[in-house]
Amino acid sequence: MKNAVSGLGLAPDAAMVTFPIEMFLPGSDITPVEARKAEFYERLTRWKSEFAADGNGGSPLVSARGATFEDALTRANDLILARQWGDGLPIWPATRERVEWILAGTPLPREHALGTFPPRGGVATVEICAIALAMAGGRPEYLPVLVAAVEAFLDPAAGSEQLQAASGSAFPVVIVNGPIGQQIRLNSGFGCLGPDPQRPAGASIGRALRLLQQNVGGARPGVGTMANYGGLRYTNVVFAEDEENLPTGWPPHGTERHGFAPGTNSISLAFANGATNIRRRGAKKETPEEDALQGMHRMADFMRVPNLAGLAGYEHGTPGILMIPGVVAQTMVGLGWTKASIREFLWEHSRIPAEHLRRAGGYAWIEIDASKVTRESAALDPWPITSAPDNFILIVAGGGHPTNSYWLQGYSPGVIGREIRLPGDFARLVAAAEQDLYGAEGGRGG
Amino acid sequence: MITLEFYDPSGRLEARQPHAPRLDGLAGKRIGFVSNEQWQAFRMLPLLKVLLERDFAGIEVLPVNTFPQGNALIGNEETAQEVKRSGVDAVIIGNAA
Repeated sequence: MKNAVSGLGLAPDAAMVTFPIEMFLPGSDITPVEARKAEFYERLTRWKSEFAADGNGGSPLVSARGATFEDALTRANDLILARQWGDGLPIWPATRERVEWILAGTPLPREHALGTFPPRGGVATVEICAIALAMAGGRPEYLPVLVAAVEAFLDPAAGSEQLQAASGSAFPVVIVNGPIGQQIRLNSGFGCLGPDPQRPAGASIGRALRLLQQNVGGARPGVGTMANYGGLRYTNVVFAEDEENLPTGWPPHGTERHGFAPGTNSISLAFANGATNIRRRGAKKETPEEDALQGMHRMADFMRVPNLAGLAGYEHGTPGILMIPGVVAQTMVGLGWTKASIREFLWEHSRIPAEHLRRAGGYAWIEIDASKVTRESAALDPWPITSAPDNFILIVAGGGHPTNSYWLQGYSPGVIGREIRLPGDFARLVAAAEQDLYGAEGGRGG
Repeated sequence: MITLEFYDPSGRLEARQPHAPRLDGLAGKRIGFVSNEQWQAFRMLPLLKVLLERDFAGIEVLPVNTFPQGNALIGNEETAQEVKRSGVDAVIIGNAA
């Protein structure tokens, strides 16, 4: 509740009364509320805020002491958990030295504010991003991607104000385009959703974003976020599109969805709340045409479920992100499929018969939606899971093998793009990373 | 002894607007509800109406449907203006999910 109040820009010490009732469910006995009514009336009349602003300075320092470095590091991690700043995995304490090192990764001043993180409303400065990235095991060359992701996350059209606190277990998905993907070793191939010791950037950046959501945004389980399950939230999802294996004529996602020139370093952020592998390849002696068509049906059939996750982004967002390997995209293009025809097929074949929607109670959710376009879609039978085929995000990523595709179920009011800003000496940072991470062992895979 | 000094990662807060001023009392006041129209509000707000009208002389608590309801409507400027024009002394916002 305090998060929600401070997130609106109000002092966080809200007038508050906790009513002595069990879990508030339909049919619960709420008559015990009366026992606390005097406090409730007092908060409506005499209560005053005693909040004193934190001031405009940088983040304060705390300390942990130990007989040895290992002892101090252990105590620091204990303190980080006790203050509820960690995620349960070991953390690098964000020392001055580590944060200064990471700040070399941005041309922006450390005090530059990117916005305020909902629901708590903490100020998202460049410095606090560097602190989170330090804790997440990050490096300076990762900071430009994190800053762009934070900017997109905080764009009101992203929907983070609601999704940070909501029960639907949304997590941000950050898709990176441009040469920076390879430069900082973001994975776009085998195991691109991680973990990957050869390409750890996505895990660090996503973990830092999660720590910002929790620490600056106040999204702690059962308090600032009511996510029932919270899956995929240790690292969120951060990966690069496999631009090297895009079929001829297929623009990078950042160009297609956000209009960035090809070759631009950019990110695209959407929210998802489900992730599943979909078997794409046939098992016997299908012709290439049959194999492609059967795979398309399996993907569309999987999407044709009345759980209504896509309602959040029905008009402007996305029903989900479909990832297909480059080898599949190229084969399908060879068979005459286009990006547009793939989307059109998915849109048409994922439509839900009205009877199925009705028996699952879908119409009540559609009718209370804030979007007029969504409410009016109730008249369509079968009901399309999104307002237009172009809302599907289709990404080329994943290992060079044709058997599987991957579906990140969208829960995303918007899909937000941001250009990535690099410092002037970015090439030096990339060279240092190659030396630090891979030089001693003979380079990648050594 | 080794001391590790590191940053508090929670970031600063700014209060950009004051809380609504409190009423000097509830007796004789005119109170409205703004509801997000979910089931919690339909149970809690009518109970508050009963309690307030029983405990404070001359108080008028408007019915829960006096102002626009629902998540899509309660946060917009038109609703805020309608509440202002109504001349109520205060509103209680019932919001749950």
